[in-house]
Amino acid sequence: MSHTVLICDDAIFMRTMVGDILQQAGFEIVGEAETGVQAVEKYRQLRPDLVTMDIVMPDMGGIDAVREITKFDPQAKVLMCSAMGQQALVVEAIQAGAKDFVVKPFQPSRVLEAVQRVLG
Amino acid sequence: MDTNRYAELFLTESQDNLSAINHALLELERSPAAREPVGALFRAVHTVKGMSATMGYTVVAELSHELETLLDLVRRGEQPVTASLMDTLFAAADVLEQAIEMSVSGRGEDMDASGTIAALRDAAAAARGAPSPEAPAAPKPKARARGKRHAASRKPAPAEPPADDASLTIHIVQEPETPMRGVRALIAVERARTLGTVTAVTPPADTLQDDAFDGRFTLRVATAAPDDEIERVIRSAGYVAEVRIERRSARPGAPAVGEQAHPPNGNGGAPNGRPTPLSAGRASELAPARQHRHVRIDLHRLDTLMNLIGELVITRGRLQQLALTINDAALTDAVTQASRLVADLQDGIMTSRMVPVWQVFDRFPRVVRDAARALGKQVDFVIDGQEIELDRSLLDEIGDPIVHLLRNAIDHGLETAEARTHAGKSPTGRLSLTAARDRSAVVIRVTDDGKGIDRDRVLARAQELGLMESGKSELSDDELIRLIARPGFSTARQVTDISGRGVGIDAVHARVRALGGTVDIRSTKGQGTSVTVRLPVTLAIVRALLARVGDETYAIPMTHVNETVHLERDTVRQVKGRDVLVLRDDVLPLLHLRDVVRLPKRDARGGQVVVLEVADRRAGMVVDELTGQQEIVIKPFDSVKDGLSVFSGATILGNGVPALILDVSSLL
Repeated sequence: MSHTVLICDDAIFMRTMVGDILQQAGFEIVGEAETGVQAVEKYRQLRPDLVTMDIVMPDMGGIDAVREITKFDPQAKVLMCSAMGQQALVVEAIQAGAKDFVVKPFQPSRVLEAVQRVLG
Repeated sequence: MDTNRYAELFLTESQDNLSAINHALLELERSPAAREPVGALFRAVHTVKGMSATMGYTVVAELSHELETLLDLVRRGEQPVTASLMDTLFAAADVLEQAIEMSVSGRGEDMDASGTIAALRDAAAAARGAPSPEAPAAPKPKARARGKRHAASRKPAPAEPPADDASLTIHIVQEPETPMRGVRALIAVERARTLGTVTAVTPPADTLQDDAFDGRFTLRVATAAPDDEIERVIRSAGYVAEVRIERRSARPGAPAVGEQAHPPNGNGGAPNGRPTPLSAGRASELAPARQHRHVRIDLHRLDTLMNLIGELVITRGRLQQLALTINDAALTDAVTQASRLVADLQDGIMTSRMVPVWQVFDRFPRVVRDAARALGKQVDFVIDGQEIELDRSLLDEIGDPIVHLLRNAIDHGLETAEARTHAGKSPTGRLSLTAARDRSAVVIRVTDDGKGIDRDRVLARAQELGLMESGKSELSDDELIRLIARPGFSTARQVTDISGRGVGIDAVHARVRALGGTVDIRSTKGQGTSVTVRLPVTLAIVRALLARVGDETYAIPMTHVNETVHLERDTVRQVKGRDVLVLRDDVLPLLHLRDVVRLPKRDARGGQVVVLEVADRRAGMVVDELTGQQEIVIKPFDSVKDGLSVFSGATILGNGVPALILDVSSLL
């Protein structure tokens, strides 16, 4: 059975791109979230195997969403999607419970490697 | 990666973000102390940055990066919101938009944004109070020592490592192209914690986090795990090229290279210039308001559908005529049903092309702000009816004329603050743009409370040109619009200098007319001017009345048909040598379609009269015969060079014969 993924990003562009990369690699996209609040809600509902999480989102950012999600499920596997210059935020996200991160611009191979590391 | 298929998505989403940026900028200018606009700005710019970097649009990515840096300073209160900052930000937003368009159309290389980038850098450097952006600002101890971010450095290793036999040193070398190598190293530290206790990290976590190292780092870990387990765990951090484990017991007493624990810096001191985390829940009312569950469709596809349904409508007309001729009950039945389905289909396709006007009106607050600033006027601008829908292609066409009207209102209509105060008005001028639905039309109105058009000067000019009788002393609104909408009238130098508007109204008028709409002006001296643009809700297909003169059939759009009457001898009178129609209590000018299309006159007896209406003007038009009503598909003409044409387009009728469509507004 393929792994299920929840994609969290406020940009459709990014959701589409990440979704395409993962889908082509055989993952099943079970949900998308545009805000941190949605991400937490959908995680509770869907219990996906993997979450990709943007850092900057309206209505609760990605880091607080990770915190909430790992509080609910310490085993949650969250992959942060970050941009250059966000070092400090990524560190904070990792300490909040995110398992790994990728840096935009995304290269499919790099994204998939990170996913593999997270799913370990 | 094949990014082409994402280009379209990038463009539309960037446009949404640009719109959010402009809104937030305007909001910020209005209330410089507000936090929300800065948050919204930062988020939108950040999204653009991420997307453009992915697309490989370097110039966009660079611009948005610099913008983001400056905005971050604003957000942290290190850069106050000043007029000059706003100018820099507005200008940068414009260049960003340009860069996005150029990049998407493949001309990103030609885009020179260096001036803007330099301006943003200068502003950021000035805000930091340092000569260059690279120069570190004064340290702010404890400023951001939050959470457990610097756990490793705040749990300093003792100067002498504990004499723990199980303690070992792990030397790690990262892959050469590791992105954010410092954070990656910190992940390795986190992973190592699963093995046992990490007693030292070299270089220290702060240095790591800032990427200020060469990809080599060392961990001191107290663990009982075997080498292969250690190596597996460390490699799971990613981007690890090499792991070398050095067991203390292997070389007793020998100091491990580079493992000297750095003195604890105690404050977890985050160097300055690092982005602060976004606090949660700072949702802005500005940006996210426009999230829709929509499918984005290429407009060309909708155009194709529109053309096809147009052909289908024409074919339906032919089928209906054939069915009428053949007069077979079953055939008529089937044709009737097919007709109904075609009508529903047409309706559905029309609806799918409708978009709310805000998609174009959205940029107007910015236009108004810039114009007002350039002219040194105070303007309070309100938009009403943003949700009114219009055919997409019409909406695209109407944008420029409206900008023209808004600029006109600010330039020629609204007075300066002093002049207004002097005239007993509030110093801030009011300018409003409203959209409203009125039957099958959309009415867009630009109203200002400025000084109004100087009719005397327009009249004088008209008399000078021989357009008005010299005895006339007053202009009605209708005469006014007809005069200033005359091509050439308003562009004459003497008239552009007059206090009223006029400049370019003819251009607006021509454009709106080409879209099948009308323009109307009401102006009261000293109180203001209101320009009303009336547009059909949709372009391509309209219902028309078919009129015959001689052997030719002409189509008259129903939007302008008030009623039709039989021509009776006693209802036609002569006034000042011209035909007029007496219709109940009204007397209307009477035209003859034969004159309009230059056919020889004939005895008008037995003819019919179509009462035409445009805005508040009405007239009767005599035709030989009315042959019916039909949905017609407008095939636009190439633009007519000499200005006013009496036709707005052509169509193909149900019987396959082409017919010209009368432009009613040019007749009245």
